[in-house]
Parts: sequence; C-alpha cells; structure tokens
Amino acid sequence: MTSAAAAELKQAARTTSAPLVSLRGIGVNYGAVTAVADVDLDLVAGEIVALCGDNGAGKSSLVKVISGAAQPSRGALLIDGEPARFSGPQDALRRGVATIYQELALAPRLAIYQNVFLGAELTRMIGPLRLLDKARMMAEAKAYLARLAVTIDDMRRPVEKLSGGQRQAIAIARALRWNANLVIMDEPTAALGVRETAQVHDLIRRLAQDGRAVLLISHSMPDVAALARRVVIMKHGRKVIDRAVAGLSADDIGHMIASGKDI
Amino acid sequence: MGRILERYGTALAGLALIVFFAAAAPNFLNPANLLNIGKETSFLAILALGFMLALIAGELDLSIADVASLAAVACGALVQWGYGPLAGVAAALGVGLAAGLFNGFAVTILHVPSLIATLGLAAIAKGLGFMLTQGVAFVGRWPTEFTGLARGALLGVPNLILWLIAVSALVWLLVGATRTGLHMTAAGEATEAARLAGVKTDRMKRLGLALCGLLAGATAMLLASSLSSAAPGMAGDYFLYAIAAVLLGMTMFDPGRPNAPGTLVAALSLKVLGNGLVLMGAPYYAQDIALGAIIIASVAVSAAALKRAAFKV
Amino acid sequence: MKRFLIAAVGAAALALSAAQAAAFEVGIIAFQMSSETHARVANAAAAAAKAKGWTVTLLNSEGALPKHAEQFDALIAKKVDAIIVAMGKPIEAEAQFKAARDKGVPVVTVMSGASKDTLFDIQVNEYKVGAEAALYLFGQMGYTGNLISQRFEGNVGTRIRGRLLDDVLVENQAVKEIGKHSMARTQSWRDDVRAGMQALLLKNQGQINGVWASFDGQAYIIDDLLKAQGVKRGAIPLVSIDGGEETYRRIADPDSTLLATVMIPFEGMGERAVEAIDSIVVKKQPKESVTSGPYLFQDAVLVDASNVKQFLKK
Repeated sequence: MTSAAAAELKQAARTTSAPLVSLRGIGVNYGAVTAVADVDLDLVAGEIVALCGDNGAGKSSLVKVISGAAQPSRGALLIDGEPARFSGPQDALRRGVATIYQELALAPRLAIYQNVFLGAELTRMIGPLRLLDKARMMAEAKAYLARLAVTIDDMRRPVEKLSGGQRQAIAIARALRWNANLVIMDEPTAALGVRETAQVHDLIRRLAQDGRAVLLISHSMPDVAALARRVVIMKHGRKVIDRAVAGLSADDIGHMIASGKDI
Repeated sequence: MGRILERYGTALAGLALIVFFAAAAPNFLNPANLLNIGKETSFLAILALGFMLALIAGELDLSIADVASLAAVACGALVQWGYGPLAGVAAALGVGLAAGLFNGFAVTILHVPSLIATLGLAAIAKGLGFMLTQGVAFVGRWPTEFTGLARGALLGVPNLILWLIAVSALVWLLVGATRTGLHMTAAGEATEAARLAGVKTDRMKRLGLALCGLLAGATAMLLASSLSSAAPGMAGDYFLYAIAAVLLGMTMFDPGRPNAPGTLVAALSLKVLGNGLVLMGAPYYAQDIALGAIIIASVAVSAAALKRAAFKV
Repeated sequence: MKRFLIAAVGAAALALSAAQAAAFEVGIIAFQMSSETHARVANAAAAAAKAKGWTVTLLNSEGALPKHAEQFDALIAKKVDAIIVAMGKPIEAEAQFKAARDKGVPVVTVMSGASKDTLFDIQVNEYKVGAEAALYLFGQMGYTGNLISQRFEGNVGTRIRGRLLDDVLVENQAVKEIGKHSMARTQSWRDDVRAGMQALLLKNQGQINGVWASFDGQAYIIDDLLKAQGVKRGAIPLVSIDGGEETYRRIADPDSTLLATVMIPFEGMGERAVEAIDSIVVKKQPKESVTSGPYLFQDAVLVDASNVKQFLKK
C-alpha cells in the first residue's frame, strides 16, 4: 500500500467517525497494586467524553497512559487504528494528543502569542540569523483564538493579566496550534466563576465542532451533564459505565459515580 | 502617561540624575569625565548582563565576582609567564566559561539550588585565586597587545565602549529575538509549563549559567587589560553593583523582568551616581548607603523573578 | 515611589556636601577604610586639611583595585589640587597614577611604596620598627627561653617585621621559636588568630617565655587568651607593633600581659602628608625642602610602661 493510499484510508476512516484513539484491554500496575484493569475506550472526532470516578478510581492513571506520561502494563493504545507507543508527553503531542494541565499549562508572565507557540515557535531567516517571526506568530495566534470565538486585541499581553476563561482559551489555542486531534482537559472549570465557566463550556463545544475529540476529566456534574455526549465512569480501576449522557441529570451522574451502577 | 512612567520611570530618574549632576557637580560634563564614566560602565554592565542571563533562565549566579577575579589572575599568570596575550584572553574566557558550566552541572544534574551551588563555587574560586598568586598581584610587564584590548580606541571610540556595545547587542538579540532566548525566559518564568511544552529547560538553565560565566571571564579580561594588573579578589567590589544593576534594570522597559536595556541604563546610572557623588565631594559612605537603598527599593518594586529564583531552595 | 528614589539620593548628597567655595581642594583615598590603620591615616589627613580651610573629598576604595582606579579618575576629573593616598596601590593602578602626573595633579602617598608618578611616599622604616620590637621582647626574656609568634605575611610591613624577628633569632641562639602561626584570612582574621594561638598555647603549655605579634590587633586577642589562662603581667611578655589608644590602655593596665608596642604614627603621617602638600603645592617651595628621595621617613617610638602616660588620652 502506498503512503498516499494509506493517508486516504485514514481520512476515510475519520469521516466515517472511526475512533481517533482507542484503548484495548489497558491495565496499569504499580508493583502489586492494580490501578487500572482491562479498560477499553474509543474516542471519536467531534465527541466530548467525560471521564468520571471517585478519587483513586484509576482516572489519572488511565489519563497518564493516553497522554504519554506513563506506559501501560498491559493492553494496546491505537491511534487511527494503528498500535502506538508514546515515549513521553511531547511524543504524544506530536502524534496529535494534547493534554491541558490546569495549573501548569501556561507561563503566566509570557505574552499570549508566546504561550500559544511555546515549544513550537515560528522563525524566519534574516541574513545568517534565525530570528523569531513575531508578526506571524501574533497573527496566527489571533486566528486560532478567532476559531474559538475569542477576541483579544493585543497578543503581547502577558497571560497573567487575562481572566480565567481567557487563559483556558489560550491553552486550547495551543492545542489547536499543535493540530491535536484529541484534547485531554483536566478539571477545566475548577476555580472559575459562573460566567467564566459558561465561556469555557463554549470553548470546549467549539473545539468539538472543530472536529476534535475531547476527553474531559471532571468532578463537576453540571459540567458533565451540560457538555458531554458520553460519560465513562470508573470504579476500582475498572470501567463500570460507558453510556450516552442524553436524558441524564447532574444528580443522576453523581448517583452513578457513587454506586458504580447504571440507572 | 501612567504606562510610560511605569516603563521608563527609573530611566527618566537616571536622566534626571545626569541633569542634576551636570548642573551641580563641577566638571561632570567634562568630556574626559563622561568618557571615564562610559569606560567604568562597561565592566559593570558586561558582568551584570551575564548575571541577567542566568536570572532570565531562573537561576542566581552569586559566583560572578569571584569567578571574574579568578579569571583575571589566570589571565595574568599566563601573560606574565610569557605565553602571550592570546593565551591570556583564552585563559580569562576559559575560566569564566568553565565556572559557568560547573554551575550548570551542579544546578541541573546534582540538583543543588543555584543560590547554594554558586555560593560554593564563589568560595572555591576565591581560594584558587589566592593559591595561584599567594596573595601577590600580577603587575608590571604587560604587553601592549594585551593592554590595548581595553585601553585602545577605534576611530576615536574607546575599545571598552565598543566591547560594551557588541556584548549588549548580542545579549539583546539573543534574549529578545531568538527561539533560544525565549526558551531561556520560559524556563526561568515557568519551568514546568515550559518543560511540558517541549522546552529543554535544563539545557536552557545550563546555557544561562554558562553565558553568565563567560561574560564574567570577559569582564575579567577587560579589567586586567585596563588596569594592567591582576589580583585575587580584584573584582569583588562588582558583586553587589552587578546585582543592583540587574535589579534596578528590572524596574524599567519591561517592568518586573530582567532585561538588557534596563540593565544597561541601570549600570550607567549607578556609575553616574558614584562619579557624581565624588565630584560633589559627598562623603565616601554616601555611595554605599545609596547602593543599598537602590537594591532594596528595586526588589520591592518589581523583582518577582529574583524572589522566585532565591526562594525555591 | 521608586521614581523619586534616585532623585532623593541625589538631593541628599547635595545636602551633605556643603556649599563649596573655591578653596584649595584635596582628594584623600584610603584603600580600605575597614582596616583601622588605613582609616587612621585618612581621617587624620582629612582633619588636618579641613583645619587649613581646604575642601576635602574623602574616598574609600573598599580594598578593590578597580574602585581604587575609578576614584583616581574621578578626582582627576574633579580637578582637585592634590591627592593623598593611604596604603594605596601605585603599582597596580599605575595608569591612573600616571594620569594624575600627566594632568599635573601632585600625589603624596602614605605607606604605599614609592612610585615615579608621586612626589614621595611617607613611611616609617619597617626594618627599624621590626628590630626594635624584637630586641625589646628578647630583652624582657633575658635573651633566653622559648617564644611563639603570630605572623601575617599578606602585608609588606608585617612581613618585614617577621623577617627582622627571624634575623634576631639567628643571632641569639639561646632563644628558640617553638611555634608560629601565620594568619591566613584577611576578613575573619580575628577568629583565625584566636584559633591558631589557642592551639599553640595548649601545645607548648609551661614552656613559653614570650610572645611576639606582628600587629597590635593580633596582640589584643593573644592578651585576652593569656589573661583567661591566668597568666600574670610579665610572666609571659607580649610585644607587638602599631600603637593606638586600646594598645596604650592595655600597656598601662597592670592586669594586661601586653608590655610594649612600637608606635607607628599613623595620624602623624596623615598630618605630615597635608603639611607636605601645603609647603610644596600651596607655598610653592621646592620638593627637596621636604625630602630629596622617594621616601619621607617618620619616626616610630617604642611605648612601654615607662612612657605610656604621655600617649594616653586624659
């Protein structure tokens, strides 16, 4: 098979909403302790999936596997249907899986455009010197934010001067910049006010409309009920529930997490 | 208006200082005196720019002055023992760079906080300086090729000022216009975020400390050349002044962040202050009091970066 | 607030410097004011110059060579009429001293060594001083017994004093130096001296007949150590060099073991520097009327119980 044909096939798979990322029989052991056991999960373009569970249910261990921060003890990780192995978060990022770590996502005192392009700056040659192409980075950062329906005039403003909602927008714009197909968001509305939470909800919906898969880790049941199409609940390291959210209230989901049983 | 004051307030105060001394201090505006101030600024500013580069990468280098003294005596030793000016230049820059590399190794590989690691190296450098000289300065027969490095002039502009312009331009370009400079800044400002974004943060910290050492070596070379002598501890006096220049520089142009133009203007202001006080016949301790006040006030105003670097021990 | 800081400092400086008339102006540079002897020379010179109605700029190089050179540049730019340097470095800062001569600014140094760019250096003859101190100590010991010495090699003067002690030892074989300690550090030297001497005293307990110190600051520490061990005055004679109020107080004190010092006239040398500039620069007398050579030697005086009263402040 030629590589062009392979790319075509991949594209075809995407449009028929075959999963971007699949987990098959994933298990994570820490010594004798089993943190995650036998988890299957499919993440599809344009879909927001909430990952829920009490503390210690195995959520963060599972997320580490998807984001490249840890290797699974058992099972396979498939990207576009092909087995993949991430050597670290940067490797995952290059393969289209971006994770937004809440507290550590941004460099607060750097400018907006510097944050959007951090680690992947645009440069141009001036004579023998390779210098930063600030004008292009600012224009492109603005364009990424526009795709999220966020308008900020001055791309040179330091991120610390922005609102919590705007900061989330910057972090998400960076994921767009990396052309991430799957964006993992860890508690994106924690510490946000009502209005800003609504803003972030908008951002996440736009991200999904833009054709990305979103994996949302959240303790906020209203977030899950409002945003997710599907909810995955873990208990004792196992996936106990994987169902559509439609028709469920926040209270229903909370009840399911506590009991580990579908209603 | 408020923004202009915030960004350029201290620079304007420096300008006001110059106007004040021009009016009040006899002979301040004498071209020979202004040239002297420029030359004296060059040593301080080059050393301070090095300290600034380490600080930008989030590390404190408290060894700069003792490393510069050691680099000067290493340079003096080779020149006096007849190995020629080129060997002297190589020794000064080499000792500085080696010290910077050592600091980077201690901080990023041995995980010793820079505050401690560089303080340790400072003591080692001081000891080596005395070991090499037995406390006696290298004076006397310095070849003119070597003394010309600092004492000469090109088209009427003293070499020292040319050195200063060259170093400042390179540092300014590195920090403000290159990917490496931005990565150094990110490594210093938000180490974890930068690392997660794929920035090689440890390498950036090593680079900052190495360049800091290299510039300490360059300062040593120019000091030895200008004074045609090299003595252990000869640069010790610059320690506090260099730090003060960087801190004061952080109150202007890009408030709260170490920056090259600020450091430059601050170094010049400190030297203007010192020179002006002497010309006005102020008592000798006035300078120390002013220096201390400037350091504390600068940090109080905007040295959050320094606080972070100092207290992450 | 920050914006006014520098301006405020400048204004303070203005207030500190009184209105200056077109008086004769002298710049005085002390190499390291934190060293008591440097400060004594510089302060005495400053006081003498002020007494003549001169304008005085007193500077401290803080032991740093670049600062020493800078201050020279600044004084030359200030167009002072003369410069006095206490314990300076005419060889290390050769370019600046030469600049002063080229600009016609006369320079007199005190205890700095001779230079072709200065009028002369005011000195005491350290060889004479060293010999006097050593001979006095040997006399107290009856030219027999054991001594320990506290030395300092980092300064020309104290080094010469040590050499003279060695010479006197060679000629008087009945006196043995059973222990010596050289001060290594310059900033925390007091601790260094205390630790070194304590070890020597302990090691040679009961066999010590005399102690020699290269300068008075060391002798104070040794005196305190000996007194703490219950040593009575005269049992172990202690002799040193420099002079000063604290030294005289101890020599006059019947409980102190410090018997004598060779007084170096630090204040006298500072005052002498001002006198010399007055006659050569102000009164335009030839330099040879003050001294013909590169040095102007001052007398040092041995001070012990017999003459200490005239040195003690009333």
